[in-house]
Amino acid sequence: MNWIGLSTLIHREVGRFFSVYRQTVLPGLITTALYIVIFGFTLEQRISEIQGISYTMFILPGLIMMNTLTNASSNTSSSMLQMKLLQQLPDLLTAPLSGLEISIAYIIGGAVRGLVNGILVLILGIVLVGMPVKDPIGTVAFIFLVSWAFSSMGLLLGQLAESWDQLAMMQNFFLTPLSFLGGIFYSIKMLPEWAQTLSFINPIYYMINGIRYTILGVSDSEVEISIIMAILLTAIFTLTSILLMQSGKKIKQ
Amino acid sequence: MSSLAIEIKGLTKSYGDVRALNGVDIKIKNGEFFGLLGPNGAGKTTTINILTGLVFRENGYTKVFGQDTVSNFRFTRSKIGIAAQEFSVDWFFPIEKLLFFQAGYYGIRKKEATPMVNSLLDRLGLSKKRNSRLRQLSGGMKRRFQLAKALVHDPEIIILDEPTAGVDVELRRNLWQYLRDLHSEGKTILLTTHYIEEAELLCENVAIIDEGKILKKGSPKTLTQELGNSGITINLENTCVQLKEQLKGYTYTIDDKRLHFSVKDPDQELPKIIQILSREDLHIQSIESNKSSLEDVFLNLTGKGIND
Repeated sequence: MNWIGLSTLIHREVGRFFSVYRQTVLPGLITTALYIVIFGFTLEQRISEIQGISYTMFILPGLIMMNTLTNASSNTSSSMLQMKLLQQLPDLLTAPLSGLEISIAYIIGGAVRGLVNGILVLILGIVLVGMPVKDPIGTVAFIFLVSWAFSSMGLLLGQLAESWDQLAMMQNFFLTPLSFLGGIFYSIKMLPEWAQTLSFINPIYYMINGIRYTILGVSDSEVEISIIMAILLTAIFTLTSILLMQSGKKIKQ
Repeated sequence: MSSLAIEIKGLTKSYGDVRALNGVDIKIKNGEFFGLLGPNGAGKTTTINILTGLVFRENGYTKVFGQDTVSNFRFTRSKIGIAAQEFSVDWFFPIEKLLFFQAGYYGIRKKEATPMVNSLLDRLGLSKKRNSRLRQLSGGMKRRFQLAKALVHDPEIIILDEPTAGVDVELRRNLWQYLRDLHSEGKTILLTTHYIEEAELLCENVAIIDEGKILKKGSPKTLTQELGNSGITINLENTCVQLKEQLKGYTYTIDDKRLHFSVKDPDQELPKIIQILSREDLHIQSIESNKSSLEDVFLNLTGKGIND
């Protein structure tokens, strides 16, 4: 292993998103604050409690998860595509770095961004509405696990994509709809039966309910299933993105 | 360690239906200054991209100090520093930091890389710009930064892909001097270029490549003695009209108002050429007769100019 090369690339990837924090860290906080104000404070009086939890409190874990997974995936996907389009990738491919080292560094970079964003939104929830956190260690661990899974998914997409348009399509047509349909703003028990069944095939549904359990102690799905799903996604995306990088199929001619 | 710094044998590569390399063989000795000379699209960049791991090879092998560049890529890549023809664009970090990153990829910690980074920034006139982003640099500075990036891990082999493309005369001369200095320090240098003068001035040996094939190898002197005719360059006042028919039988290139002939006996041929041009009502601005050069060798081998 080229450990110095690996840590340099991790340093670069983490430094990259921190250097543009107005674009990579602040938007999630502002959007969440707006959700809390608009959805929470205005709709809370009209919507009764869900599973014994006030509406604002109920939606917060979902918002944490949405921030976590969109930031983790967009970090790796946009960084990889940018490297490809702006001729930066040859610097890595001509260096004594293996596909495994490049992949792991990218995934860690994205996972750190997902984790930072998730934790900041969590803190915002605690500060703004006094959200209690039932299991702080479990919450942080779950945020990290989901960050890793979606960071590696982003790396896979970044390697496959050939234009910004293709990446935006993945974000707008899959990730965002699946997040909203995963039960950020509602419990799936409020849906008709067919829609509940459909939710079961949405992996993000398990991510949202997993973190809702670690924070609030309530969940539509079994927490064990949420954890297993997160581990499965992590394993599948990590392995696929590393194998594709090692093959060089989408990044070399 | 092998006395050959680079060994390429039977290298082939196709992009779809286009045959980019058609059995390229090159041997470069340790410490040699070697030029790969050919027009755009001849296969120069593909050859070095295969050598450095950016492009998959099809057939043949590529070795660096006797080690295969695919199966033993860590060793071979650590020996090579490459200055690519195209600039990479990084929006996020100042150039000094980019050099530290580059050193890090090669396993060199920041502390160990600091003297080299400072020396390169200084030597290449980039010290004052160390905190600037790449987009804030001029074209010439970007070219110098490319070179700094290639040298930051102190490689034994330096590969330069068209290092002086698009730079002004002064910078070109400075870069040439710097390359000579690196060569005198014992570095092996592989230069790809379509500038004849560059290859003649710097390289101990050259290989002439066209359409994915090596046509001839040797020192510029041997090649010009063996294959070069004398050159006659005629600059016209007006752009040349169609002269294909009239100049039948001559080996020549046309570049706007400049005509370059490759002839065996300039004393005998020059009056005839002048006569033809006068008949076509073309006014001659100047005539230069020069000794044979690699340009003439290339013309002889391929029947076309290197910049055609």
